[in-house]
Amino acid sequence: MVSAEKRAIRIVEISLLVASILLFIFAEITGDTFYSRLATEALIFGGLALSVDLLLGLVGLLSLGQAFYFGFGAYLSAVMLKQVAPSFWLTMLVVLVTSALLGWVTSYIALRSRGVYFALITFGLAQVAAKVVYNTRALGASDGMIGVPILQIDFLFFRLDSSDPGQFFLLVFAVIALMYGVLRYITHTPMGAIWHGIRSNENRLAYVGFKSKGPKQVAFVIAAVIAAVSGALYPMLRGFVSPELLFFSVSGNAVVTAVLGGVGSLVGPLLGSVLLTFFKSVIGTWTVHHHIIIGTAFVIVVIFAPRGILGALSKRLASGSDRKGE
Amino acid sequence: MAENSILSARQVSKRFGGLQAVDRVSFEVEPKGVTSIIGPNGAGKSTVFNLISGTFLPDSGEVVFDGKDVTHQAPEQKLASGMARSFQITNLFFDLTVMDNLRIASQRLESTQQLLKPFSKSRLALQRTDELISEFELERAADQLAGALSHGDQRRLEIAVTLATRPRLLMLDEPSQGMSQADTQETAELIRRLSQNMAILLIEHDVDLVMDLSQHVVVMAQGQKLAEGTPQAVRANPEVQTAYFGEATA
Repeated sequence: MVSAEKRAIRIVEISLLVASILLFIFAEITGDTFYSRLATEALIFGGLALSVDLLLGLVGLLSLGQAFYFGFGAYLSAVMLKQVAPSFWLTMLVVLVTSALLGWVTSYIALRSRGVYFALITFGLAQVAAKVVYNTRALGASDGMIGVPILQIDFLFFRLDSSDPGQFFLLVFAVIALMYGVLRYITHTPMGAIWHGIRSNENRLAYVGFKSKGPKQVAFVIAAVIAAVSGALYPMLRGFVSPELLFFSVSGNAVVTAVLGGVGSLVGPLLGSVLLTFFKSVIGTWTVHHHIIIGTAFVIVVIFAPRGILGALSKRLASGSDRKGE
Repeated sequence: MAENSILSARQVSKRFGGLQAVDRVSFEVEPKGVTSIIGPNGAGKSTVFNLISGTFLPDSGEVVFDGKDVTHQAPEQKLASGMARSFQITNLFFDLTVMDNLRIASQRLESTQQLLKPFSKSRLALQRTDELISEFELERAADQLAGALSHGDQRRLEIAVTLATRPRLLMLDEPSQGMSQADTQETAELIRRLSQNMAILLIEHDVDLVMDLSQHVVVMAQGQKLAEGTPQAVRANPEVQTAYFGEATA
């Protein structure tokens, strides 16, 4: 069962990688913008779902306010690019450092409590932030900010253009893959095992010599950074930010995406985001009531595949190899 | 005797609302061998255990371990000092494998810097994990989830987890709880073997087991220490007999 899960994760990782390469080639050849931009958006919100999964799937903390950090990254990125310097690297560095700081400070508030109360505190924090942004004239208030400039992103040997959909897609893919890789790495360290221990039986941890607070705080800060870095990519793609990015619907969607993809698998939420984003776009062209269809699909998945797409896939792989073994 | 002991509880007390659960209880634990706390249900044994292991803080009194006042230390600090406890109700990381349970439990042997390095760098912890797996004959169960083990195996894993950091004082809360006769015998052998090299503080319902294993027995009733001494002395004590079997009517 354990190895089936590993295989399922590997299959999805490779599928996403191959699909991304194919999409990039397709975009470069045909000059497509629609699909590459849609895929870029899917990855950006996939990063947000990844941060939800770090908290929910690895540590067992349900955050209903990850949009706070996502929106923080998006707004900070827009402000940096418009008013400070149109530099990708500088913006990312500033977002990285300040979101870590923000995560660290808010962790003291959120991690005072557990379970439902933790969920409510994260929700509350995000609501407060959303209202503040919504009412701040300097940040464009309810209109948000438009006119984020197109970026020339310097690498050592080449340069990417953020207005080229294929190139920008590749960049976003690299950023999300890097964050995914860091999390995947941590799951292979004692810290990852301790996170699992917290999820499994938090009270026992003290009797094997660890406070749960420190490891939880580490996870909370990393989750904040992942959400904020993902958010920082958003204005580069869309050219604007709006207060909706901080609303509960964004946090809630990220949780739905993570659950749908498979909580705790890390790659599942990325896959979930890709599927949901395309699904929404396709159904959106048929009907404006696409939420009804997506909601129904969500209920069905939770009933029949409680561990999401990844859970269903690894179950299938496990039963397949059992049959072969007989 | 006091200079010799590894643990001393001095006048520890704990009140829960209107109930004086533990009332000025004192006893000593030798650096090697088995010291047991027995008593009827509700005598306060488990509360004493929780006060010593850091689950609760005592209202008054002190706990001294190895010459150091540890009364106000949290459980993880006590573990670092060399005190480890098991639980009466099996308390494991149920949705982790046996291997991972032991890995987490052994990780305190390493410095904190190892936490973000790959598992393979935590050599002491991995070595300890392997040792425990073979010592407790958990080889075949190593990759199973702890929650999927039989009750007997879970109880053994519970003790293995407790031993992972090589504590000098092992506190066992009813280790034979819910075990078959054969498993209980096996556990008794294990405790006897371990007690040659470490101090064991045992709470146990099975009086025969206690009398068989212990060098020193503390009897509690209604939150107070009723008697203490060798198993023979305690067994012969009329007060103890009264506490256990009620007043003689004849």
